[in-house]
Amino acid sequence: MSDLNTDKLFVKLLARNERHIRSFVRSTGMDWNATEEISQSVALIMWKKWKQFEVGSDFMKWARSIARFEILKYRRGVSRDRLVFNEELIELLANSSEAMEAELSSQDYIESLQLCIDRLPEKSKKIIEVVYQSEKTIKQIAEEIGKSPTSLYKTVDRIRKKLKSCLESRLSAM
Amino acid sequence: MNDEELEKLTQKHLDERLTKEEFKRLESFLQDSSYARRRYIESARMDSALQEAHYEQVPNSLIGKRSVQQSVSKYFGVHWTWVGVTAFVGVFSLLLFMFLAKSNKPESESHDSGAHVESVAVITAQAGVEWENKNFREGTSLKPGTIKLLKGIAQVDFYSGAAISLSGPAKFELINEDKAVLYYGKIKAHVPPAARGFKIKAKEVLLEDLGTSFGLEVNKETGIADLLVFDGEVRLTGKSGNSLLLTDGLAANLTNGEPVKQKPFNPERFPEVSDVVNASASTENLRYLEWKKSSIRIAKDPRLIAYFDFEDLTNSSRRLKNRAVNGLGSEYDGGIVGARVTDGRWSQKTSLDFRSEGDRVRFDIPGEWDALSLFAWVRIDALDRGLNSLFLTDHFDPYEIHWQISKTGYIHFSTSPTGVVDLNENNRRFFSEKFWTPADSGHWFFLAVTAEQGTGKIKNYINGEPISVVDGLQRHKPINKFKIGKCDLGNWSKPIWQNSIRSLNGRIDEFGIFSAVISEDEIAGIYKIGKPY
Repeated sequence: MSDLNTDKLFVKLLARNERHIRSFVRSTGMDWNATEEISQSVALIMWKKWKQFEVGSDFMKWARSIARFEILKYRRGVSRDRLVFNEELIELLANSSEAMEAELSSQDYIESLQLCIDRLPEKSKKIIEVVYQSEKTIKQIAEEIGKSPTSLYKTVDRIRKKLKSCLESRLSAM
Repeated sequence: MNDEELEKLTQKHLDERLTKEEFKRLESFLQDSSYARRRYIESARMDSALQEAHYEQVPNSLIGKRSVQQSVSKYFGVHWTWVGVTAFVGVFSLLLFMFLAKSNKPESESHDSGAHVESVAVITAQAGVEWENKNFREGTSLKPGTIKLLKGIAQVDFYSGAAISLSGPAKFELINEDKAVLYYGKIKAHVPPAARGFKIKAKEVLLEDLGTSFGLEVNKETGIADLLVFDGEVRLTGKSGNSLLLTDGLAANLTNGEPVKQKPFNPERFPEVSDVVNASASTENLRYLEWKKSSIRIAKDPRLIAYFDFEDLTNSSRRLKNRAVNGLGSEYDGGIVGARVTDGRWSQKTSLDFRSEGDRVRFDIPGEWDALSLFAWVRIDALDRGLNSLFLTDHFDPYEIHWQISKTGYIHFSTSPTGVVDLNENNRRFFSEKFWTPADSGHWFFLAVTAEQGTGKIKNYINGEPISVVDGLQRHKPINKFKIGKCDLGNWSKPIWQNSIRSLNGRIDEFGIFSAVISEDEIAGIYKIGKPY
């Protein structure tokens, strides 16, 4: 046990990397509930094993290795009719996602996306916000704004496409 | 499968609305194509990032509350049942820390430019706290006023040097940097020699600390007030004006507004933050807080023309606030153009990142001076241009100054009494020794220059140490005065030659302009307290 492994450092590292852990889990094809559940387990396991972590080494690398394990564990526990990718594909995705981590979790990336969001028309921003940050389902949201779920999905798809191309052009311009 | 279909199936999978057939198709395609997997990952990660993004400017306190609720329901909802009590305690303290760490920015009690100068104390550590109607976190500066700590413990460092640990529930009023009132709650105060005379009022008794530390409790329910002196001396003055001097180990009861000696009690009644949080402040935290305190002092220097601490910037900030207490205040605020907000010397601090050709901060600082001093904390990532701007006045009109770094890594300071007329005969240019090599990329440097009317009175400093002017042109010719006017930090507007680009590639997180020569010792001092490690 090292006295460098303070609670505070853990909290700081976790706070900084939480979103990246979720993003990594999500990119292996996990749905939102699974992503949340797995990310929480990862945080708890890391907390329990914190004293074994070598301060100064790569926190995210450690997180990813635990996450891979938890993802596969989760995969084995779900029934076959759930639309979760097979183990082999999960591993392939995890490998590529790990390789892309530096780019897709960079400050550049986060800030560029934020900038692209800031530049959306107010209405589009509102829609994306509700879809991504409320607890409501698309169906509920569609009902509230008097649209069919299909047409709401279309709108959301269009906005996401716009964000994606904005993001790509910003990132390639750096 | 073409891109369009891949994109469509990917997004549908992420939205959980694929049919079984579509799912099979996507799965087998992803399995076969690494390109498709990369596209999938890009979409999935963007999907994830969209959940974390901010969609509107909401007051920090709201963000804080929302994230607290979310985290709490997230962790409690799922894990309470199976994690067990031990782990729960872990997760719970974790959570407490997490929303401290997560809440967006320290809620600065100041809102307007220069207002943070009125603050009298700063929260340097806290554990398990809940503030009434506030989302204070470590690093939050406090203005005079009443604060209520519902629970937990917080360390409040007054700018006078006195440090107190406040345990909730507590109601505490900050009067100024060396005076406060405790209505109820517990405090443990440490008063170093420099802050001698620090005063706290409780139950109409005035406590004046003449030594080093004491504990004080006013019970919220019973109103009973107890004082214990750990070491040093405390002078107590009751409402009738009678004084009592208490020394090491002695205790008093203040309940009735008059100090009455009583039997000493257990000092452990007064907890300190450090008892609760191990190593409460990391080195980084401490360095940042030291700098923060010093920055507040610097802002008061009457010789300042303008001072920019680059604090509390957000992605939507378009104004760089002049924090100099004296002078023209917000008139000298800078306009942020392009440069992006990012981490400064410490992760707690914000800075501006200059990267694109257009990035800059615009100022308009008219006037003329017999002497000027400039300093800046700069992280140079690369010297891309022949000359790389630190601080350049627009064009190069008579007496205006240019402060920049050459491609080869020396400071280039210049001014010309005739502007660009007969430039080569008139432009006084001062080149320092080289100080920067590509190996220094990404490191923070403290750069300063002082310029005084006369002949050759230009001095450069790197990291608090003077470095020589070793070359230049027309250095033997006198300089009568200096001007600034419209100008850029990190760039050059209206260059005298077309297509001349001098944009900086790096970050700046502090910048000051003085209307006088600041001394070698002062420069060394600013460096020492601001260096990152």
